[in-house]
Amino acid sequence: MKQSSITKSNILGTALLTAAMSLPALDFASAESAPERGMVSFKYLNYSESQTVPGTGGTSSSTSTTTRRAADDLRYDLISGASTATTTSGGGATGTPGSSADRIKVNAYTVSTLVPVAGKWSVGLNYTYDSVTGASPQYHTSALTNMHDRRNAGDLAVTRYFSQGTVTVGGSYSSETDYISRGYSVLGSLSSADKNTTWSLGASLTDDTIMPQIPGATDKSKKAVAGLVGVTRVLTKNDIAQFNLGYSHGTGYFSDPYKYADNRPGTRNMTTLMTRWNHHFEGSDGTARLSYRFYSDSFGIRAHTLDAEYVQPISNGWTVMPLLRLYSQNEADFYIATNSPAETAPTPVPAGQVFSSEDERMSAFGALTLGIKVAKKLTDDISFDIKYENYLQRSDWALSGKKDSGLAEFNAHSIQVGVTCLF
Amino acid sequence: MAGRYSSVLSAAGSLIATGAMNVYRIGFEAMGGVGEVVLSADTMKRAQAMAASAIEEVKRIELKYSRYHSSGIVHRINESAGDGWTECDDETVSLFGYADSLYESSDGLFDITSGVLRKAWDFRNPGLPERELLDALIEMIGWEKAERRGNLIRLPQRGMEIDFGGFAKEYAADRGAALLHAKGIRHGYVNLAGDIRVIGPKPDGAPWLIGIRDPRDHGRMMASIPLSTGALATSGDYERYFELEGRRYCHILHPGTGMPVTHWQSVSVLAPLAVHAGSCTTIAMLKEADALQFLERSCTGFLAVDRLGVVYQKSCDPEYPKSPTLS
Amino acid sequence: MSKTPIVRFLMGAPIMLMVASALSGCSAGTAVQPWERENLAKPEMTFDYDPLDTRYTEHIYSSKEAASGGAGVGGGGCGCN
Repeated sequence: MKQSSITKSNILGTALLTAAMSLPALDFASAESAPERGMVSFKYLNYSESQTVPGTGGTSSSTSTTTRRAADDLRYDLISGASTATTTSGGGATGTPGSSADRIKVNAYTVSTLVPVAGKWSVGLNYTYDSVTGASPQYHTSALTNMHDRRNAGDLAVTRYFSQGTVTVGGSYSSETDYISRGYSVLGSLSSADKNTTWSLGASLTDDTIMPQIPGATDKSKKAVAGLVGVTRVLTKNDIAQFNLGYSHGTGYFSDPYKYADNRPGTRNMTTLMTRWNHHFEGSDGTARLSYRFYSDSFGIRAHTLDAEYVQPISNGWTVMPLLRLYSQNEADFYIATNSPAETAPTPVPAGQVFSSEDERMSAFGALTLGIKVAKKLTDDISFDIKYENYLQRSDWALSGKKDSGLAEFNAHSIQVGVTCLF
Repeated sequence: MAGRYSSVLSAAGSLIATGAMNVYRIGFEAMGGVGEVVLSADTMKRAQAMAASAIEEVKRIELKYSRYHSSGIVHRINESAGDGWTECDDETVSLFGYADSLYESSDGLFDITSGVLRKAWDFRNPGLPERELLDALIEMIGWEKAERRGNLIRLPQRGMEIDFGGFAKEYAADRGAALLHAKGIRHGYVNLAGDIRVIGPKPDGAPWLIGIRDPRDHGRMMASIPLSTGALATSGDYERYFELEGRRYCHILHPGTGMPVTHWQSVSVLAPLAVHAGSCTTIAMLKEADALQFLERSCTGFLAVDRLGVVYQKSCDPEYPKSPTLS
Repeated sequence: MSKTPIVRFLMGAPIMLMVASALSGCSAGTAVQPWERENLAKPEMTFDYDPLDTRYTEHIYSSKEAASGGAGVGGGGCGCN
């Protein structure tokens, strides 16, 4: 029997098949339906960072003079590098070539659950507790001061599933000694009839209160309203891509109260453009996950982020995922660089300059992350995962902007361990 | 492939293969025949629990769309023929929409009102019906005559009946498979008396080998089709029939003549959905000599055996038995 | 010399706009049919593969770098300044 090709007058065949597809839920991938099963997850994070002054010589030492406040009110905001302690501006040891100093250590615990409700809804709840201890600079990478703080945070999201889309409403609350954050968000998605294109639109409001633990300081407020629009597109049966555009308008207090001469503008507008692409390789059953983000804000900072991850299932339910991340930003308009390679005092603010910051996070630098994650499916319902990442940040690696070579090199590594259970 | 698997039999469910993941087979009776759910799971208990939910869905559809269920929707619609309107739920309305497509795509051959012809044919008592009886029954056939308004339906003539038997089984196979997939099953299939919807290939990625029965030698497999995804359905003149004076009269009746079709011994179709594969096999049987053209454009692949035993196939890549006879 | 936010946005935008129009305009040959979506349903092919992992890493990066956001709305803040 001669084989003939299916010609374009396949109309009847397609019409009947399309009709079959429109029967209730016969196809497998109903992207917009509530999850069939509930899930509870737990994940632990152990993070620690350090800095090294490049060059040889010198012993590892760190001089940080700290003054403990009355009672045990040493506070800190998580991983921010700010400190309540008042210290003398000194500590030149961090400028000695070859010296290294430990900085922040974090232990975080998160429990998360997702519960499907009545077939058309799902409720997600997360709770995080973390504690951070260590030392952080008061300016540039100098004058490390000790701190310790704990944070409690929770958030709730409720999603309603429709046949062609979803709506999610969420709220979050985070509290630490000197910082309270409240967030509200709404996100909607709408899919095309063939479910190959999905549009999403989201908006959020954040309302933060900052209570600097410094004598005489008053409470401050910071608010932001943000929006996001995105499109997700199925390109082939092995390719899916997404493009997102976000904008945030923030007003209020953006300075770091624990850093020397830190006075930032009262408005911060941020724009992000992000594309992501996942590609599945049929031969190896592996998946490549790529993303690029462009960031620009009214502080004058532009940043590029490139993420690449490869997910490779191997035998017996194991999966291996190596990852690489590249990052670069230029300095904020009001950033003040170090005045010498081994600075012993903060750089004076130039006369007439209104806004200033000597926070290394406002400087120009590049960063590299290398990581590996391993996951294992223990039973049909339980799986666990473990991830190790190593992060290097160097002012030398900045793609653009004015590099501040007086900054110490920054390194961090983290381990995450998690377990997920379906019910 | 055979070397990696061993089979062990046990009670209501059987462990049919061990390896990286166990494969279980759970048998049951439904839709007037034997059904099975084959899936991979960690334990027998889990396999039975998963299969139970699929079997429950199959039985739900069987009961809901049974002609005999006295408070069921089909009975209510048929009882009101020539009378008033019956209100239907969303699932039933969507099945009517599908019946419309079937009617159009088959040029009126696949007609869900043609079930009345069973009053003329009793396959347990061989005998040809009277011409007058057949003509009277043919008068009551015609899906185009059924009146529909939103979710309401009315059969305008007394004696008219609708019957979902033509695709209910395949629809149930699709629903069962989709349910298992939603529950996380990725390897297995749902088989309802030969109408199969695959959930996913074997745990090692190899396809399932589904046998197609020789239409004239029941014990023998004529071919086995490798299936990793999609569905396979078969219609044949051997499922219910009688022979009289050397001629075979099968259960697939032409709505225009009231007589059984004779051109094909069996038609098997590969398609993404069981309901589509099953519809194509039935339409092909009804189209008789014109079936090949229809099959060429309607499905992924087919294997058809005509009344003389000549085999026609397209894109099926079947594996034929090596030896001439296989028991 | 400081540039207004709009100017900065437009400077970085051209490449991204190309990508956006390519994405929404491309038809990828023939549309992917529902029964071909098996690989797309794999968790690693979605964009929220491991939400808790993403949560931790995004939090760390936004505390150590100036940039933040990109793919979601909401999410609480912290004293990261």
